[in-house]
Amino acid sequence: MEIKLKNLTKVFPGNPKKHIRDTVAVSSLNLDIPDGELVGLLGPSGCGKSTTLYMLSGLQIPTSGEVWFGDEEVTNLSPEKRGIGLVFQNYALYPHMTIYKNVEFPLTNLKVEVPLVVFYDFDIEYTYKMNENDGIEGIKRSIATLVNKVGISTKQAKVAITNENGDLLIKIEFHNVDEKAYDLFITNFPRIVKPLTTKEFKVQSSDALFDGSIRAQVIENVAEKDLKNVQKEILNSLGEYKKLVDEIRLYNRDNKTYLFFKIAKVKENDLALIESILKIYIKNPTLHKTQAFTYRKLNKVERNDIVHETARLVQIEEYLDRKPSQLSGGQQQRVAIARALVKKPRVLLLDEPLSNLDARLRLQTREEIRRIQKNTGVTTVFVTHDQEEAMSICDKIVVIKNGIQQQIDAPQVVYNNPKNLFVAQFLGNPPINVFKGKIVNKVIYIGDEKVYETKTDIQDQEVYVTVRPEGFIINRTKAKNAFGITGTTDMIQILGRDLSIIAKNENCLKPSFKAIIMDENDELTGKVFFGVKPNKMFIFSKDTEERIYLD
Amino acid sequence: MFKFKKEKQHELDEFQKVSPNEMTFDSDRYGTLVVGHNAKANVDVEVVSRKKIDPNYRVGGIVDQEQRNNWKAWLYLAPVLVLMAVFLIYPLINTILISFLSNYSYVKGTFDGVTLDNFGAILGLVSINGAYETRVIDYAIPNTFILVFVTVPLSIFIALIISVLLNSIKAFQKALQTIFFLPYVTNTIAIGMVFSVIFDSQGLINYIFGLEGFAWIYAANRWVAMIPLCIYIVWSALPFKILILLSGLQGIDKQYYDAAKIDSTPKWKVLWKITVPALSPQILYLMVTSFIGAFKEYSSIVGLFGQAGTTQGSYELYTIVYYIYDNINKNTSFAAAAAVLLFAIILCFTFLQLKLSKRRVHY
Repeated sequence: MEIKLKNLTKVFPGNPKKHIRDTVAVSSLNLDIPDGELVGLLGPSGCGKSTTLYMLSGLQIPTSGEVWFGDEEVTNLSPEKRGIGLVFQNYALYPHMTIYKNVEFPLTNLKVEVPLVVFYDFDIEYTYKMNENDGIEGIKRSIATLVNKVGISTKQAKVAITNENGDLLIKIEFHNVDEKAYDLFITNFPRIVKPLTTKEFKVQSSDALFDGSIRAQVIENVAEKDLKNVQKEILNSLGEYKKLVDEIRLYNRDNKTYLFFKIAKVKENDLALIESILKIYIKNPTLHKTQAFTYRKLNKVERNDIVHETARLVQIEEYLDRKPSQLSGGQQQRVAIARALVKKPRVLLLDEPLSNLDARLRLQTREEIRRIQKNTGVTTVFVTHDQEEAMSICDKIVVIKNGIQQQIDAPQVVYNNPKNLFVAQFLGNPPINVFKGKIVNKVIYIGDEKVYETKTDIQDQEVYVTVRPEGFIINRTKAKNAFGITGTTDMIQILGRDLSIIAKNENCLKPSFKAIIMDENDELTGKVFFGVKPNKMFIFSKDTEERIYLD
Repeated sequence: MFKFKKEKQHELDEFQKVSPNEMTFDSDRYGTLVVGHNAKANVDVEVVSRKKIDPNYRVGGIVDQEQRNNWKAWLYLAPVLVLMAVFLIYPLINTILISFLSNYSYVKGTFDGVTLDNFGAILGLVSINGAYETRVIDYAIPNTFILVFVTVPLSIFIALIISVLLNSIKAFQKALQTIFFLPYVTNTIAIGMVFSVIFDSQGLINYIFGLEGFAWIYAANRWVAMIPLCIYIVWSALPFKILILLSGLQGIDKQYYDAAKIDSTPKWKVLWKITVPALSPQILYLMVTSFIGAFKEYSSIVGLFGQAGTTQGSYELYTIVYYIYDNINKNTSFAAAAAVLLFAIILCFTFLQLKLSKRRVHY
């Protein structure tokens, strides 16, 4: 499901009496999330990313703006009608229920559509010769399970077994069952016992039902004050079909009168009759016909299947009998995801799902989330303040600052091509080094040292020059005309395969800057020349903090 | 400073025989830390524990300081313990004793001997001077049980509904909370008198429902009189229960409700599947305490009727405690026997409740 946010804004009202100002949590956020992608909302605490997520879920209603799921606007729709799954930061698993019950819980409320096609009553008679290994009770139970599996409720089926010296007569009566379920039953029955003879009787018990709707111009224009009366007249003219009318509305627009008419659960030939009645008012009344639906709850067997299927997906099958308190954080997390996924949501929302886990588990679980998301293909929105998390598993990340979206792109693009100083500083660990610099005559300086020469025409100005820690090349001495800065090394840390150099430069905004190089030479003391790789260096305007693009 | 306990020589010899293995911790940090049979006779400290530990696992060189200051804790507890001993434990034991004494005189403290007849007498099995006491079996015990099994579940259910509703509204919540709490700080007898006016044959209830002259209280049928009595008990029991349940409700994580909302859970299901299990510790607490309280029902009958029955001299509305109070002076031993009987009933009942609730209560 594609998600679109249009100018989404959320303002939490303050209290003027206590001089508390309004808080703008999210400010005109525009966002397109393509179908089936995993998108991370990334930003520091309090930047409005969780609020955005809750507006997507419907637990919070936006102050202004729109939320679209595909072609459907859901801005003011309540959460249960949106078809979403939400994983809470602290999981919110019901502590008194077992894992099975927790995962099953959303299914107990779920209603599935039952198309009102033609229904039949079926009588089937099987004869069967018993083996030594057969038990009547076992056969009975197997039949009951099969009946449930093919989607026929226990109320609709009657099973009677009579036993005459090992010759079984199995009588099954189905009431109001559609053909598909019946065919499934017939084809699967020999898997229980191979019948000797089969007799079938079929009687149609109800017709297929349809919904009809029409929006058309009425032949004679009706004055505004008579609308109600004419509406009543149309309704009355329908006679016995009056009860089936779902909605009827007569309204004037552009000096013409229109009729909006909806009727539900009508037989096909009745629909034609209704059309002929409507002919008095509308020129060519052709009702838009769709299959009518009724709703039913999932039965126990169906629920059991779905729970086990979901549990297998997130690998919690062996814990289904336990209580949440008996599971580790990572397992609870997976249960929470299972509970969100079990009703096959259109959109999966994750609110800082990894923040309660320890470092190793976090690594493992985020891979898991990625795997689950890939397997199900559900559009997923993921909130996090941990940039590493977002960069490692998201298809796209959205960087947010103070409720304003800064940049949306694939993680590597955002990292290699930050739009502004905030994005550059927020992404990357260790963080990017920021230096005060200037542009004079198309040459970029940090202090007095040349860092880069550009060919594009850029105005002379004060800028921030930022260099990623891995963007330095170390030289003991400065070569002639080399681009880079000189720094005094302060400390050298050996991080396994890398070497991290902490050095001082007076133009750095922080007391020291950091360079990471692939080297084993830890005798780099005193003054060292740091060459700068142009692709790891970004220039930002000092006033706007926006990126200045070089060549 | 306190002197460290010396390891007793014979004890040491004992476990030197028993334990075959040798475990020695020699570390600079702990000095000589000796475990097991190798512990020397001159070990100057030991772990003091109430439980007899296996000598093999006894560690030398460690002082359990916590146990050293035990006498201070006892000192601080002393005032309460003394009061409890004088006003609770002594009367309790004494009551049990008296219930087994025949012809006990509480003024002189004399008695004829030990007997079980007191219990027999109050249960109507043994005659007292040729007559049988039937009021306990006929009235006191059935009435008590009716009151317990009607008022307690009813009041908890109503309190649950009210507190859930109170918790879900924002406006006037505090004001309504205060109003619902008012009966708790009002005198029982005063409320009883107001109720007896409301339920009077010429009272408000009869006026509203057009039942002028119908007797609810004075000269009423025993079963009819139970109705205002139960209403009164439930009403006066509500405030405390609402208070407890409301505080429990406010402690439930709101995210459970958000999660339920996303799963389109109907309201009644949220109440029974999420709220009630989450409140189960509070509900159990209320069940246990109010069952005990209801078994001891007495003041409400005095408050509403002013006597033990609906008419002068009748005992139709006796409860066990009413019987006890009535007989404290006249037949102290009978009163004591009834008290012991009640104690036994409550004990069994509470035990049963705790046992049954184990599976349903989630902490």
